[in-house]
Amino acid sequence: MTILMSESPPVLEKDLEPLRPWSKRPASFWLAAFLGSVVPLAILGALYLTTDLAVALLLIAFYLPMQLIGAGLAGYFAKGKHGIADSAIIVFAIGATALSAIILGSMLLTIIVRGIAAFRPSFIIQNSTYISPSTPLEYGGIGHAILGTFLIVGIATIISVPFGIATAVYVTEVRGRAVPYVRFFVQAMSGVPSVVAGLFVLTVFILTGVLNTSAMAAAIAYAILMLPTIARTAEEVLRLVPEELRTGALALGSTRARVVLNVVVPAARTGIITAILLGIARVVGETAPLLLTALKNDQTVLNPFTDPISALPTFIFDNVAQPYPDAVTRAWGAALALLIIVGVLFTITRFISARKPRR
Amino acid sequence: MSIETPMRDLGKGKKANAGDRIFNRTITGAAFTSLIILAGITVFLGAKAGPVLQEQGLSFLTETMWDPLGVPPEFGIAGMLYGSLLLAVIALVISVPVSLFLAVFMVFMAPPKVSKILTNLVDLMAAIPSVIIGLWAFYVLVPPAQEWQQLLNQYLGWIPLFQNESGNFTGTPFIGGVVLAIMMVPIVTSITAEVLKRTPPELVNAAESLGCSMFTMLRYVALPFGRGGIVGGVMLGLGRALGETIAVFFVLKLVFDINFYKIIESGGGSIATLIVSKFGETNGEYEVNVLLASGFFLFLMTLVVNAIANLIVARTDRLKS
Repeated sequence: MTILMSESPPVLEKDLEPLRPWSKRPASFWLAAFLGSVVPLAILGALYLTTDLAVALLLIAFYLPMQLIGAGLAGYFAKGKHGIADSAIIVFAIGATALSAIILGSMLLTIIVRGIAAFRPSFIIQNSTYISPSTPLEYGGIGHAILGTFLIVGIATIISVPFGIATAVYVTEVRGRAVPYVRFFVQAMSGVPSVVAGLFVLTVFILTGVLNTSAMAAAIAYAILMLPTIARTAEEVLRLVPEELRTGALALGSTRARVVLNVVVPAARTGIITAILLGIARVVGETAPLLLTALKNDQTVLNPFTDPISALPTFIFDNVAQPYPDAVTRAWGAALALLIIVGVLFTITRFISARKPRR
Repeated sequence: MSIETPMRDLGKGKKANAGDRIFNRTITGAAFTSLIILAGITVFLGAKAGPVLQEQGLSFLTETMWDPLGVPPEFGIAGMLYGSLLLAVIALVISVPVSLFLAVFMVFMAPPKVSKILTNLVDLMAAIPSVIIGLWAFYVLVPPAQEWQQLLNQYLGWIPLFQNESGNFTGTPFIGGVVLAIMMVPIVTSITAEVLKRTPPELVNAAESLGCSMFTMLRYVALPFGRGGIVGGVMLGLGRALGETIAVFFVLKLVFDINFYKIIESGGGSIATLIVSKFGETNGEYEVNVLLASGFFLFLMTLVVNAIANLIVARTDRLKS
């Protein structure tokens, strides 16, 4: 032992300095960090003010390299050689985060700002009968489209919920032999493009004359898109139901079916509601199936079987590229309405899943 | 402690209760809805695609034309198939690095509170309907994107990829790819973050205590551990990108000729968008059938991509647990 100790370890001691994250950082680190973050920004600002190069060019061709060099120097002072790669990762990570935040922020902001311009009581309540793209904003509204969205999504929910939950129950409760296959098919189904779901309904129900282009046809297409979301989320929720509840209910003498219907599913109630809401959020903005199966209608339609019907996505779609500013404003207004619906669904699901389950 | 006899076996013995048996059968039947629908899509769209393929021959997949009024009418969707792939590749190239870095930031860098907020924002971004993204892209993204493309052409025009002879920068595959990338980022990010979060903390801690830098830890611990899941997530995003219709519809100018590589030249193809844009103006039943056949190939394409993605994800899941 002593002999080993006396032989001083070779090279290592000198070459590899430990990081010592607990040690106090030298002043040079803070100076480098300050310079690395401020100088590139300052040069960017100066270039922006003095030259008329485009912002995108400045950001990509000047700011990013400078920021990388600055951060690399700061990293080198702080941690030595391997600080350089770290600082590059930090720059790219913050850059990616900022980019995504800017895009999301820009989306929400534009929709709210431009959509507010269209919002007034009549816009929510009235339908668009006798309204042409050039009609001023005081007349007409998206009431028919909101009703259409509710009608189609409502029917789709009624159709898809039983099948979705049954699929989840099969996977978690019945635990049949086909579980791996059922899960595979559900996942494959979640990848079906919305336009294909629309084409499927078109071929099977509309071209054969079983259904008109109507809310019902659109609802079937929506249900196809909702089913996998509901099934997968409900499956995860049912898995969380403690096994003791099942064994306890069985011990009290209930049949297997009763265990599922009266114990397991009620215990996962809020989770299943979340699954349904997620399913609704998945489809509420889908446009392509509506264009194939529901077409459009300027009047309010309440019969789901007879007439073509407009919904919010198709209303937006119709008004986006109109040459009249008022029509475009209507599209933004409808987009805001759709965003509010999505936002409400999103908030409710977050609220439900954030709550601690009752014991 | 799990129930010993699986429920599926209850139907066999005499002990089984009649109610249980009915319940079992109903649930089992309903669980196969997804299979029935998938089979239905294949059969019905395939039945429409068959005659079209027979009549048009292989040129339906290799030629680029759309002549519904010709005698006989001729159709070829090669440009659209290729266009869909080109858009997806552009979207991949843009979105994968962004998603990876965003996920790394969320999991390994941001303080827990910031990370939670970011998770919610990413989910919110995933929930925004494509028609709204299309509307935003059409009015907000396209004008600056045209400027960027002009810059690309001005400074990097010697690269064939960034050639533009027409001087028209609207409706390019590049813009379409950017829009698809925006839609892919939240999907890929949330899956990647989920996978990275599952890196065993003892591995991360061990790496850190050995003095590994963040880069080394990512390169040799986190990324190798999550590779399968990340690749699967990217493939799922790719499947979504291939089938995306409406957002692309607003920003891409559909042309039937194949735009091979000039990504900032006006005009490209997308099979999903083709279906929606031609559906409203079809001349007769035959053209509808052609659109259904196009949809059939789109369906097959996404099905293959998704199946591969799910297999990769499932395999890595099994290895982990």
